[in-house]
Amino acid sequence: MKKFKPFLTVSLTLLLALILVLTSCNGESTTVTATVTTSSTSTTTTASPVTLYIGGTFALTGAYAEDCAAVLAGFQDYAKYVNDNHIIAPWYTDKTIPSNITFEVLWGDDQLAPDKALTIYDDLKSQGMLVERITGSPEGLALKDRLNEDRIGATSQSTSPSYLSPPQTIFTNAPIYTDQMAAAAEWFLEQWIAAGHTEKPRVAYLTADSSLGRGIDIPEMQAYLEELGYEFVGSQFVPMVPTTPPTTQLLWLKDNNVNLTLGCMINPGSQPTIKEAVRLGMGPDLEYEITFVFANPSHLQVFVPAMGELGNGVVVTGDFVALDADVPGVDFANMLQDEYRPDNKISHVMYLDGIIEAMTQIEALRLAMLQKPADQLTALDVLEYGFYQIEDFNVGNITISNLTYGPGDVEGVDMVRIQQVQDGVIVEVGSYPLRHIYKHE
Amino acid sequence: MSLPSGIFQESYGQDMAILRTKQQWIWLLIFLAVLFTMPLYSSDKIMTLATMMGISVISVLGLNILTGYCGQISLGHAGFMAVGGYVSAMLTANLGWPFWAALPCAGLAAGLVGILFGLPSLKIKGFYLIMATVAAQFIVIWLILQFRGFTGGTDGLAVPRPELFGYVIKTKGAYFLLVMIIACLATFFAKNLVRTRVGRAFIAIRDNDLAAEVMGVNLLSYKLLAFFIGCVYAGVAGSLLVHYFAFADINMFPFGDSVWYLAMLIVGGMGSTTGAIFGVITLKLLDEAMILAGPALAAAFPAIAAQAAASLSLIMRGLVIVIFLIFEPRGLVHRWELIKAYFKRWPFSV
Repeated sequence: MKKFKPFLTVSLTLLLALILVLTSCNGESTTVTATVTTSSTSTTTTASPVTLYIGGTFALTGAYAEDCAAVLAGFQDYAKYVNDNHIIAPWYTDKTIPSNITFEVLWGDDQLAPDKALTIYDDLKSQGMLVERITGSPEGLALKDRLNEDRIGATSQSTSPSYLSPPQTIFTNAPIYTDQMAAAAEWFLEQWIAAGHTEKPRVAYLTADSSLGRGIDIPEMQAYLEELGYEFVGSQFVPMVPTTPPTTQLLWLKDNNVNLTLGCMINPGSQPTIKEAVRLGMGPDLEYEITFVFANPSHLQVFVPAMGELGNGVVVTGDFVALDADVPGVDFANMLQDEYRPDNKISHVMYLDGIIEAMTQIEALRLAMLQKPADQLTALDVLEYGFYQIEDFNVGNITISNLTYGPGDVEGVDMVRIQQVQDGVIVEVGSYPLRHIYKHE
Repeated sequence: MSLPSGIFQESYGQDMAILRTKQQWIWLLIFLAVLFTMPLYSSDKIMTLATMMGISVISVLGLNILTGYCGQISLGHAGFMAVGGYVSAMLTANLGWPFWAALPCAGLAAGLVGILFGLPSLKIKGFYLIMATVAAQFIVIWLILQFRGFTGGTDGLAVPRPELFGYVIKTKGAYFLLVMIIACLATFFAKNLVRTRVGRAFIAIRDNDLAAEVMGVNLLSYKLLAFFIGCVYAGVAGSLLVHYFAFADINMFPFGDSVWYLAMLIVGGMGSTTGAIFGVITLKLLDEAMILAGPALAAAFPAIAAQAAASLSLIMRGLVIVIFLIFEPRGLVHRWELIKAYFKRWPFSV
């Protein structure tokens, strides 16, 4: 054994050195190409069938589960529509998809965990997916540099300010949270002045205790509010999914005479918060006058059916149109549900997000296919010839403005929609331009 | 450990060796050869998964020293990882330190924070100590969020990748090797630690702290030492994690991970180095299998909503822990020992 040990040590060291050398020689970048479904027996002159993948990671368990389930359904139905009709939308009959192209949705449940998102991303990439999607800020923060290194464009249902530091390859279809809050502050100030108040309104953050919620708590946001004429009071944080009513936080607002709260919460957070606020007599029309503003991903389309008139006065910014709005996008969504899930319809507004994200991914792939054959596409092609070329892209008027992306321009829309609950219905009360609060290098 | 017939130890050194037969050395060599050649034939996904397993192994080995050997249950291990991760991130990103200097500092910082939160362990134990360590998790994350100027707050912090003699360890294969080398060293240290005077003191405290004290074991210093060593492991794992993502963010260290690390110990077998490794591999593979099963199930049974199919992962993890607690409380390592014993006596085993 004594003679064996040195031999073993030397062999292991040599082996390690060899592996290190071999690994370092291993190429650093991975080129992702489309999957070709070979048809060697084909005798016709038609192009070979090619399957292109869309989708990405979805947090189907955890706080975003309901939202993501609706988004995934939107992806799946939209992919079926494009495969059946070979156009990207009824209002874009000129944007056609070659008949040899089939789209397939690939997905994995990342449970809102960065490490899981990473393994799913690697898995999807290895299967030849040329695009990606991001559920929430945790996965976005973890993947954004990797996506940029791999030059893969990704759509996202989250709009974290950090996607702008610097703008890379995650493209949003809603305004960044801080821009949503800036718009709400402008809107409220107009109401405040119109009501004849002369004193400065007092504003505080009432926001989720997470990356999502704390994303607005940055010096630039506070500076902007003070510049507008607000007196900034402080911040209160509520768990993403509160297990007890946030009474302490709400009473703190009362004690500090706050007139307006700004925050990012999901519906499982904003709904119990408002229920408790109403119980404490806090609201625009209640004994303690205060207006609560939440950024998208709170959705009045979910909030109103659950809360009714209890939620009167609550404001949500940056969201899609109401589900009963008379716009082509909503009609299209209804048509997809009638066609592909007549017995299992989705009532969640994030179904619209699924359609928009899938439409954006397919448009990027379609634009790239105009430059290169589908079976030769790389992720870089889809990013440069696809995502970066998307300009004035109409998603059926679901978003406040058409989507435009480019290098350094990842915030697709250029306006913020403001909706308020009035008498138990959603009313659009205004729209404001992006103020680009979050300054990036 | 029993030896095959005909092999006798002739010295104390031989008797104390971890590997005592040529066969064991050969198996180790084969294992290491397979492990370290993985980058040559494995996909990106396998590399990512194996790297994450390696990082978890380091962390769980630390928890095993603290909980498995010394009996100090901690539910704040992800918080201690966050300390290491952020110290390493700040030193490399803000001060320009090399990774190799930041890595030991990360371990040291986590160890010192571990000592701080371990101080109550002399007075409290069991459920009360669990609550104190849970507090550690939340206090650490809260502090990270408050010192936004240094830590990046909710925006996180971009972290440079490690460099070795000018070569940036950027590829998945190269990073895997780095993690595995550290994981092997961590395993070697952990395995040896429990055979020392310190390790025996840890075990004595775990089995009966009063008796240990009567025997002359200084409870406070040994408990704090266990916290220190366990948290050094966590700090190193945290550092490796943030450098792997090239980004430090509080979401990488959720409370749930602290619980799962403990679950890995339960499944693998508490108080065993091999058990810690078994636990990590089993639960990580189970996780991956469930992630893959979600879309497959949803496609095979369209009546099952995708959301329900995906929830299977959480259900399965909970189920596995319950099953282990009921049917195999000593963990997979116990089963492994039984299997080995069976084949050692084969064909006479019953």
